[in-house]
Amino acid sequence: MVVLAVLLGLLLLPVVVDAVRHGELRRLAIRNINRRRGEAVLVVAGSMLGTAIITSAFVVGDTLGASIRDTARTTLGPADVSVQTLDVGQLAELAARLADPPVAGTDGVLPLVIARAPVATPADAAGERRAEPHGVLVEVDFEAARRLGSDPAITGFAGAGPTPTGDEAVLTAALADHLQLGVGDTVEVYAYGTERAFRVRDVIESVGVAGFGGGGGRGVFGAAQAGARSVLVPPGTLAALRATPSGAPGPAGSAAPPTGFVLVSVEGGVYESAGRIDTVLPEVERRLQGVAGVQVTPVKQDLLEQADAVGRQFTELFSTVGGFSVIAGVLLLVNIFVMLAEERKVELGMLRAVGMKRGRLVRGFGMEGAAYATAAAVAGALVGIGVGRVIVYVTEGLFSRGDLGIDVTFRFAAEPASILTGLAIGLVISLVTVWATSLRISRLNVIAAIRDLPDPPGVSHRTRSLALGAAGVVAGGLLFAAGLAGARAGALAGLPIAAFSAIPLLARLLPRRLAVNVLCAVALVWPIAVFSVLPGVMDGADIALFVVQGVLLVAAAVTLVTVNDEAFGQLAERLSVAGRGLSMRLGLAYPLARRFRTALLLGMYALVIFTLTFMAVFSRLFAEQAPRFTEEVRAGHHLLVESNPGNPVSTEALLEQPEVEAVAPILRAFPHFTAHYQPEPMPWAVTGIDERLLAHGVPVLASRVPEYATDEEAFRAVLADPGLAVVSEFFLQRGGGPPIDRLRSGQTFTMINPASGEARELTVVGVLSADWMFTGPMVGAGGLVDLLGPQAVPTRHYVRLAAGVEPDEAGVALTGRFLANGADARSFETIIRSNLSQQEGFIGLMEGFLGLGLLIGIAGLGVVMVRAVRERRRQIGMLRAMGFPARTVRGAFLLEATFIALQGILIGVTLGLVTSYQLLANSSTFGDSDLGFLVPWAGLAVLLAVPLGASLLAAAWPAGQASRIRPAVALRIAE
Amino acid sequence: MSGVATTEPMLEATGVRKVYRTGALEVEALRGVDLRIHAGELVCVMGPSGNGKTTLLNCLSGLDSIDAGTVLVDGEDIHTMDDARRTEHRARRMGFIFQSFNLIPVFTALENVELPLLVTGVPAAEARERAAAMLARVGLSQRLKNRPTELSGGEQQRVAIARALVSEPAIVWADEPTGNLDSETAAAVLDLLREVHDAGQTLVVVTHDPTIGRSGQRLVQVRDGRVTADGAPRDILGGLPDGNGHDPAAGGRRGPRPRRTRPLRAR
Ligand SMILES: Nc1ncnc2c1ncn2[C@@H]1O[C@H](COP(=O)(O)OP(=O)(O)OP(=O)(O)O)[C@@H](O)[C@H]1O
Ligand SMILES: [Mg+2]
Repeated sequence: MVVLAVLLGLLLLPVVVDAVRHGELRRLAIRNINRRRGEAVLVVAGSMLGTAIITSAFVVGDTLGASIRDTARTTLGPADVSVQTLDVGQLAELAARLADPPVAGTDGVLPLVIARAPVATPADAAGERRAEPHGVLVEVDFEAARRLGSDPAITGFAGAGPTPTGDEAVLTAALADHLQLGVGDTVEVYAYGTERAFRVRDVIESVGVAGFGGGGGRGVFGAAQAGARSVLVPPGTLAALRATPSGAPGPAGSAAPPTGFVLVSVEGGVYESAGRIDTVLPEVERRLQGVAGVQVTPVKQDLLEQADAVGRQFTELFSTVGGFSVIAGVLLLVNIFVMLAEERKVELGMLRAVGMKRGRLVRGFGMEGAAYATAAAVAGALVGIGVGRVIVYVTEGLFSRGDLGIDVTFRFAAEPASILTGLAIGLVISLVTVWATSLRISRLNVIAAIRDLPDPPGVSHRTRSLALGAAGVVAGGLLFAAGLAGARAGALAGLPIAAFSAIPLLARLLPRRLAVNVLCAVALVWPIAVFSVLPGVMDGADIALFVVQGVLLVAAAVTLVTVNDEAFGQLAERLSVAGRGLSMRLGLAYPLARRFRTALLLGMYALVIFTLTFMAVFSRLFAEQAPRFTEEVRAGHHLLVESNPGNPVSTEALLEQPEVEAVAPILRAFPHFTAHYQPEPMPWAVTGIDERLLAHGVPVLASRVPEYATDEEAFRAVLADPGLAVVSEFFLQRGGGPPIDRLRSGQTFTMINPASGEARELTVVGVLSADWMFTGPMVGAGGLVDLLGPQAVPTRHYVRLAAGVEPDEAGVALTGRFLANGADARSFETIIRSNLSQQEGFIGLMEGFLGLGLLIGIAGLGVVMVRAVRERRRQIGMLRAMGFPARTVRGAFLLEATFIALQGILIGVTLGLVTSYQLLANSSTFGDSDLGFLVPWAGLAVLLAVPLGASLLAAAWPAGQASRIRPAVALRIAE
Repeated sequence: MSGVATTEPMLEATGVRKVYRTGALEVEALRGVDLRIHAGELVCVMGPSGNGKTTLLNCLSGLDSIDAGTVLVDGEDIHTMDDARRTEHRARRMGFIFQSFNLIPVFTALENVELPLLVTGVPAAEARERAAAMLARVGLSQRLKNRPTELSGGEQQRVAIARALVSEPAIVWADEPTGNLDSETAAAVLDLLREVHDAGQTLVVVTHDPTIGRSGQRLVQVRDGRVTADGAPRDILGGLPDGNGHDPAAGGRRGPRPRRTRPLRAR
């Protein structure tokens, strides 16, 4: 932020000084802008999008961060540290140790007991019931809860009345709303094989301690959850439930026992206390020394850190993907300035000739540019807030679609600091572009400028470009060396940079065209080939690297195409024999003659279309592969039945169902893990399997250690040896995207019992390509129970259906029949499809986001066309005088736009297809499994039609203007 | 008048009025002009700056519309045609040469000269041949592939002349064709125009240069939007060295010419 401010100051200072000290420069700039208001608006509109994209990325991050931060208020309130034990009998002693005397810096402790249980309404007249499979039962003393911390208002219990007794219970609003229950209604809970009904005495808001549900839901993004759906029951209820015959604690590996918590409040409100937790934690741990099976977690701090991390992650994701568009925006700015300069070349040359100093020239130009840049940045920041809002809206919808693990109420947030940062970044990028272009322009050769000739390459010019080229080759070489040593960006960019830089050098030995062709071919092939040539280095490439790749490829392709565009010219000539030939000839002549300008436009289109093509490929890939992915995970089964850990479905009961042929119970737990790329213990799911899972098939591995000839052998080894495991490529990954760093067959990781601290090292024998069911590592059930004891609960069953049973229908039937177990039975294909649809949704969101970049390209084309009409007024007048029909003039402009847009689109599509094919089919960047490759024809058709149509639309107005130019008027214009 | 007047005129303008309207301001640039031009004539149009010469050229050639009167070309009224037809008429019957050469910068000399042929539907190969021949005629056979920026002013104007002539138009209109050239180059261009006329081309040349005016067979003087004199140059210019009524010593022919825009009638 400071760096940004300093940079901004440096870039803006000369403008401000000039504006104050040199009235004539200021007036010149103002007059130039005023003279062309419409165009100024176009310029600002086109160049604001970069800022809008950056700002919106910040806004999205802000919103996610703020939404997760808010769960500190709705699920923790005053609670900052949780002490967790599976031995509920210990609770009183634990509380006493922490409260008597109080740990310095804390202001209260609260013991409570939590069990998971499905909750439902009694059957109504029609026999219908509403159920909440993920309900929570909480035993807590209301009086004590209100005393936790210094402010009863944030505990959630302020107006909750006394602790319920007898058959009364209090519901949190989250649950009451979901079940549509009110005070006086009856609610039924199911736990440990029995059921119990309560009368609803009160409904309280799901905030503070009242919203605390013990944590637990986890997904790709961590454990953020909205306020719990709880039934606050009278003390002793859980013990009574367990005392029934079916509720008695079974063998390890049955229902999850109730969990005891002591919540500790650190002085300060919901958010103020977080910073002080570190000072309290050591003393809390010291006091608990010697008590077995206790897990101390700084819950508040973890949550706030997660909020920041997720916020940052989303900002990063959107700003890197948006990077393509931002670069397109820079190209637009350069383009606009080059055009401005060309238009005033003669004027500028005259000014230079009459002795205006070069510096003045730069500053006069810079001032005008700075005015555009500032207006664009401010407008961009405002638009960015709106764009952010749209993204947030779509994202919220997507989160509710799959199993991402974020279950939070979105709170739109746009921090002033973020908006200012977005604005500042956009402004710095624009200003740097403006100054660089102005400098380039001021190096005008005076004679050439006055006579409107291209700059002759002078001697000093040539030595300089040779020196620069040599320096570039050396730098590229060094980068490449660093790449061979493991730096991905270096491996990717080193060679192309060296190749680009070598152009002036090689052009001395070979004909220039040949030199450019050879070197651009190198720069074009390498960024694609590198993924196969250096797989070790390129594995785990992130999105930023793909941006670099895209820029390199597009630069090379556009250079290649523009250098060889004469071929198009000849084609046009041949076509000019045909009917619309004259329009064609005129339409192609200008872009072919103004290569630099054309190249910039091509670059804008190609960059964005490249990414969109890439995404279209993935979108199609995901959409069409659900059946295949299903086959890979289901191991011969049809349904995945999940149930509530407090009252899981029993294997026997499932086997009794008429639809069911076989059942494989799966143990689930959420211990902690470390791996070479994740040294801090991180909670993640684990799955315990037994031989029943392998009875009808085996999940398909993407790779395995060579000792085992088949996937089945690898799984059998896992069953036999508690030190072996199968993991997925997404194990311990944060965020989406391809895995950054991952475990390979033969490597080891550690699983830790969070309660006892006991750890076990596991060796990976095989890797699953994806983790659609969020299984986490798969280990033998016996070994899992040994390490985790009652934490491992059979909450999942793989069910094989009898022949002829329709999976989705059976799923609905079983879900209803096992309502008391909180069962959710869905076919593997349905689960995968819903997850895929979420992924596709995200890709769609990204595509929409990148569509903004397309707007930049189209706005750029529009600006270029509008300027072209003005630049060529006299020429058009002459053509009309010579008898060119108005429609030929209009046609020429439309063809010019088509020519540029089509070329850019085709470059982008080709690069996108080749790159994605290479990455998917020939490299391990997206994992070891062969994802296959499909050409997304429908997507490509859209990619071709929409930008082309929009470009024609953007060109239609200037083309119309051009066709209406009256020759007598146009020819009068003084030159 | 010259003896050519005995035949039917190629162009016959009667009572041509042209009013420019900019906002509330109206400028009557032509106030009832009558003019006949016969095939093969070389007509020089002279007159003080801002008095309507360019306007006359534009209105008579069909580049601009008129407010009253008729302009018949070969008996056809070009101002009753719609824009498309008048455009086509220009393509087939008119050639234009301007002070600033107005070449299309992205085309080579050859491509520039081809344009009028292509627009009238001449096959590309033939167009290329005829354009090359025409460029050879104006002495530029060595510069076919050069773009305008690579040519000198005189060369550019010769390309423009070639372009105006290549489709063998009925009338070639030249508005101060030597205005942007130094005296030597101007002389060469004039020689070229004279040669063209000698070959039978009808030419209307607007000029400030009395030597040009004097050298033609017919001079039309325009003042205040009217034709004030029409006849043999000697009769009109008399002994005066400057047909515009200025003393050349005061301004100098090549010096910056003050553009006097005197509204003839402002409301
Ligand atoms: N588009 C226009 N709108 C308004 N007035 C115009 C327009 N074009 C020309 N005029 C006016 O019409 C009058 C005649 O102009 P015209 O260009 O025909 O003069 P000219 O004799 O060709 O002058 P010069 O020798 O300087 O070229 C002038 O007073 C000029 O200001
Ligand atoms: Mg004139």
